[in-house]
Amino acid sequence: MNWTLALPELVLALSGLAILVAGVLPRRDMTFPCTMMVLGAFLLSGAFVLTQPDGMGFGGQYISDAFARFMKVLVLAGAALALLLALDWNRAEGLSRFEYPVLVLFATLGMMVMISANDLMSLYLGLELLSLPLYVMAAFHRDNARSSEAGLKYFVLGALSSGLMLYGMSLVYGFAGTTNFAQLAQVLGGTAPISAGVVVGIVFIITGLCFKVAAVPFHMWTPDVYEGAPTSVVAYFATATKVGAIAAIVRVLAGPFGGAVDQWQQVIVLASIASMILGAFAAIGQTNIKRLMAYSWISHTGFVLMGLAVGTEAGLRGVLIYTPIYLMMSLGAFSVLVAMRRNGHAVENIQDLAGLGRTDPAMALGMAIFMFAMAGIPPLSGFFAKLYVLLPAVEAGFWLMAVVAVLSSVVSAYYYLRVVKVMYFDASTGALDARPSGVSFVLAGTGLFTMFFFLMPAPLLAAARQAVAALIG
Amino acid sequence: MSDSLLLLSLVALPFLGALAASLLATHARNAAAYLAGGVALAGLALVWTAYPTISQGGVLRAEFAWVPQLGLNFVLRMDGLAWLFAGMVTGIGALVVVYARYYMSTEDPVPRFFAFLLAFMGAMCGLVLSGNLIQLAFFWEMTSLFSFLLIGYWHHTQAARDGARIALTVTATGGLCLFAGLLLIGHIVGSHDLDVVLASGDAIRNHPLYLPALVLVLLGALTKSAQFPFHFWLPHAMAAPTPVSAYLHSATLVKVGLFLMVRLWPVMAGTDAWFWIVGTAGLITLLVGAYVAIFQHDLKGLLAYSTISHLGLITLLLGLNSHLALVAAIFHILNHATFKASLFMAAGIIDHESGTRDIRRLSGLNRTMPFTGRLALVAAAAMAGVPLLNGFISKEMFFEEALSADGLLVLPLVAMLASAFSVTYSLRFIHGTFFGPDPQDLPRQPHEPPAWMRFPVEILVLGCIFVGVLPAATVGPFLDLAARSVLGEATPYYSLAVWHGVNLPLVMSMIALGGGVVLYMALQKHLRSGIEGPPLIRRLEGRRIFERALVFLSWRLARRLEGVLGTRRLQQQLRMVLLLALAAGGFAAWHRGVGPGNLVPQGVDPVIALVWVVGAACALGAAWQAKFHRFAAIMLLGGAGLVVCITFVWFSAPDLALTQLLVEVVTTVLLVLGLRWLPKRMDKPGATGVEVVTISRRLRDLAIAIAAGLGMAALAFAVMTRTPPDLLAQHFLARAYTEGGGTNVVNVILVDFRAFDTLGEIFVLGAVALTVFALLRRFRPAPESVEVPEQQRDQSARDAERPDRRDGDTVADWLLVPSVLTRLLFPVICILAVHLLLRGHDQPGGGFAAGLVASIAIILQYMIGGAAWTEEKLRVLPLRWMGTGLLLAGGVGLASLFFGMPFLTTYFAYADLPWIGRVPTASALLFDIGVFALVVGATVLMLIALAHQSVRGHRAERRAETAPRALVPGED
Repeated sequence: MNWTLALPELVLALSGLAILVAGVLPRRDMTFPCTMMVLGAFLLSGAFVLTQPDGMGFGGQYISDAFARFMKVLVLAGAALALLLALDWNRAEGLSRFEYPVLVLFATLGMMVMISANDLMSLYLGLELLSLPLYVMAAFHRDNARSSEAGLKYFVLGALSSGLMLYGMSLVYGFAGTTNFAQLAQVLGGTAPISAGVVVGIVFIITGLCFKVAAVPFHMWTPDVYEGAPTSVVAYFATATKVGAIAAIVRVLAGPFGGAVDQWQQVIVLASIASMILGAFAAIGQTNIKRLMAYSWISHTGFVLMGLAVGTEAGLRGVLIYTPIYLMMSLGAFSVLVAMRRNGHAVENIQDLAGLGRTDPAMALGMAIFMFAMAGIPPLSGFFAKLYVLLPAVEAGFWLMAVVAVLSSVVSAYYYLRVVKVMYFDASTGALDARPSGVSFVLAGTGLFTMFFFLMPAPLLAAARQAVAALIG
Repeated sequence: MSDSLLLLSLVALPFLGALAASLLATHARNAAAYLAGGVALAGLALVWTAYPTISQGGVLRAEFAWVPQLGLNFVLRMDGLAWLFAGMVTGIGALVVVYARYYMSTEDPVPRFFAFLLAFMGAMCGLVLSGNLIQLAFFWEMTSLFSFLLIGYWHHTQAARDGARIALTVTATGGLCLFAGLLLIGHIVGSHDLDVVLASGDAIRNHPLYLPALVLVLLGALTKSAQFPFHFWLPHAMAAPTPVSAYLHSATLVKVGLFLMVRLWPVMAGTDAWFWIVGTAGLITLLVGAYVAIFQHDLKGLLAYSTISHLGLITLLLGLNSHLALVAAIFHILNHATFKASLFMAAGIIDHESGTRDIRRLSGLNRTMPFTGRLALVAAAAMAGVPLLNGFISKEMFFEEALSADGLLVLPLVAMLASAFSVTYSLRFIHGTFFGPDPQDLPRQPHEPPAWMRFPVEILVLGCIFVGVLPAATVGPFLDLAARSVLGEATPYYSLAVWHGVNLPLVMSMIALGGGVVLYMALQKHLRSGIEGPPLIRRLEGRRIFERALVFLSWRLARRLEGVLGTRRLQQQLRMVLLLALAAGGFAAWHRGVGPGNLVPQGVDPVIALVWVVGAACALGAAWQAKFHRFAAIMLLGGAGLVVCITFVWFSAPDLALTQLLVEVVTTVLLVLGLRWLPKRMDKPGATGVEVVTISRRLRDLAIAIAAGLGMAALAFAVMTRTPPDLLAQHFLARAYTEGGGTNVVNVILVDFRAFDTLGEIFVLGAVALTVFALLRRFRPAPESVEVPEQQRDQSARDAERPDRRDGDTVADWLLVPSVLTRLLFPVICILAVHLLLRGHDQPGGGFAAGLVASIAIILQYMIGGAAWTEEKLRVLPLRWMGTGLLLAGGVGLASLFFGMPFLTTYFAYADLPWIGRVPTASALLFDIGVFALVVGATVLMLIALAHQSVRGHRAERRAETAPRALVPGED
């Protein structure tokens, strides 16, 4: 049993337990020390991830490859930065509890397990380890009715989709006789026709995964949960967990079910097109910026799924390039959302950003960069993200999808630009409170990345290429 | 200087200048102006150094690695056309910088202005020098962006913000279309390199995707060059400072669309589609722009519409698919840039010195600013096409082309009409501003501007005159270079001369000149009346339609879509997920044809079928009652569960059945206990509103549930009628006795084969129990559920009524017979538990089942006797039970290490016990006892946590009586 392979996860799990104890025992508020310890654990785990060798462990349940390393680094970075944002927000909102960083840690651990899964069972294990803390986090502001509602909705729908997925997994197991990814790939990659039961199973698994990445038509929870849950939690939802969800769907569809690409391609194409269109149009009418970001994510999901649907090496590489770029843009945008606070109260309407261009030029500039980037305006990073998924789609002849992508990106540019317009062109209704240093740090880091990605795209491209090579094999 | 260095510095220099300018202090006016002027002049010098190569017909080219993974290189390429445009951008740029230095007010943050201006210049240079399509689109969007920033420079005014917004929306949208179009072209050609693209004209024109590509590219070009129906952004962009208008909206930005059409002319033009789209857009723009320009009262508005009209003229020329027309188009691009920039500057000077741009208020300025007046007069004459000025020559060429276009009489007529209009508005510009009586109450006393402010206008006007008099000697070679770089060998013969003899174009020119003057005289009265907007098409205002369309698209449509497609209700979302999953799974199964497998199903025994009918009825009843009678629903759920147990027994799985039965009992009890704290549901079906809606809604849900259930059943059927793959079951069955020493395979799996999993599970169970306890310990019931239940209240009320009974008597006598029975049963159940525990390894039973049985015994006592009574008589210490269980289970596992075996290995043997005889024993039994203890402890712990709620409820009630709202935190 090659358990040292899973050192990053083990380190994270053990530090999680230790931090939990460290949070309970002293009779004073341990939020700050716990947060710092969790950040330390992320850092340590990240170091182990970078030095992780290739290989398989736990009887073929766990795999370590370039793809896993790539995604894990992103997840850890996203979780760490989102936690940094949450620190100030939770304190200001009276939600300072040491459990919060621990929940983030366990959710992140779940994602890492999910990313390294080489078996349907470890995939499901990771997925649930991710989901359970998320349900709690969504309802973390428990005295707030909206937050409780968000938690409940997320839990009920999430449980339903998990159930569907589990059902699909059992069907796949029943008809294919194995849950191991490598063996599944062998069974499905052969010349024999794929059993119909497996196809039905794959459909249910895709349903569950689509729920996790919030692809249309399983997107409905996203706006409600984003709006209801505390902003600090949403910052985590919208960044790190999206990376995890993308990793899972890519790992499953390109890995074991890669041989059955004809069976699921049409489904993903449909989901992609529907997500892009709905995300673009539904976001327009939003006044709440968190809901706006939810629909914005749905639209981005469409782009991610586009790369996946193409299924070629270039398409998957596009997905892997999209993910970090989206992560950075989204973290940056949420750093602004977290800083939206006037007279000590959190505000979350787009109109509350009015006049930010004058009252806080640096933050407004950052937000403008993120909005332009999300709209895909060159030379910002978002443009390249869209380009790298659009080109393979065009090359592989997915014309409808490519055209919808461009059109929806035009439509979505509208609402991104509306935020910029509100910041720079509308009269201010009073300055926001001074932004905490954590926000400034995240804002500056992600802003620089988004702005100057085009100068140095090579390292990321190389890493993505390696990861894809490991995935396709 | 090497080509790459030259080209790169031509693009990079303005950006570096912009960066430097943005770092200057806000009041550093002169420094910023010198910097910007220096950069522009340096750019012009660079362009000039390229002339020797270009004039030989050479092409400068430089390539840098950009995104090598995509085969994308950063290519800079300068041929005659690019050279001409680069010269125009840098040359007019330098003049505009000089002008802006004097134009901008001291209060404005001038360095920012110059930074934007330089960045725009850099984007323009990058655009015209682009040697690859992607890069072209990139710089294209960049020009849109900087034009947005420049238009919105005075962002404190509403007009500037609106103008900038509209311009960006229109041009950036066009830019995205262009990007798509260029990608299509790249797809057709197989390369994004401009040289390759330009060499594959036939491939593009004959490709099935030619039309979409053409439409997309033209959408980009026509929006940028303000062609009808996208022209409306340009007049609103006039809110920009005048140097910006002079630079962007006459000379450079709006020419970019034309530049692109010229650039792609060899590969895209020559088809009917091109002729109709480009020609029609140009024709309408030419006429409408000129017509509207006449009726503008704002000097800049007039110039804006005249610009639109002239751009339309050039577009029309490009659309004619004739080589000569292309030459004329390039020529007119140059001429228009020269005279329109000078006119904008003149308008700016007038505005600057007199404080207004309204023609209705201005008049007679010739007396106070004579020199400016003469300059403007010459420039306006060039715009009107008066002979001996540059506008005349290109207009003659236009007339000639209009006449030679095959058989269309409409073209020369429209050309003449538009030309007459242009004479009219030029006259209006000059006559209305500089002639007539002295102006009344102007905001400022007009006077001549500083000499340096006039200097750029002088240069440009001189250009108009020189080109107009000596066209071949001045602009001829440059024009030839540009035309040759586009057309190559196909460049036609043309003559640049002032006098071609008396021919039809000349006659047309004269008619237009005369007609324009007559029209101006005729319109005097109307124009004096000062009505806003042109007659006839006043209501056809592009901006209003645009805004209304935007509001519809951006708000109403989106809201409606969201309302139709989205919902915030959990029930509906659940319904959606279920239906979709059902549809997806159903479709996949139907599409692929999942049918019954190879195994023949056995016949159904009527008895089990009957049992199942009962079960199904229970399930249906539970679903039906769930909304209004939770208690009944739970009971019915228990019934359905029992049927499952019976089924397990029927199919010879007694162990499973036993476990299922006990789990069923415990969960039902826990659910009932939890139910106590849910708020009571007051509304009954039919009590309020129409019942039909409720019933139909529930019937629909029932249908969904039945469909989902049938789907699941069908899939289960499909799986079960197939030969199962080689699963683990065979392995366990074969080895249960030989290796585990037990005949109850399930138990052997639990305590031996998979003992490690079981150990983990009981740890989890313990943790869950502790968590439930910890959570419920601090639980405070909701205020509405604190009070004593209805039944107990009734009983107390009856006690109070009767004189012979005291309050609480009935409650104390509650369920006397059952309580006696359960107390009698307690030892019996306990013995049953021990029995199940001991025989578990070989027969149905085991630690888990036994633990549940024992907890049921305790639960019954709690339920019937009440928490207080039971705890008085029976001390259960759940934590000790749990601890013992865990230690025992773990210890047994560790003990095997002591014997040198792997963790949790089982030893089994037969023991001869006195009186009982030979009895199989296994070390696994000890492990099972651990499981038993933990299950008892955990279940009882949760039970106690729940049971104490009732105690706490009474306490809270008593407290509430003494002190209202005393639901204070803090554990009792």
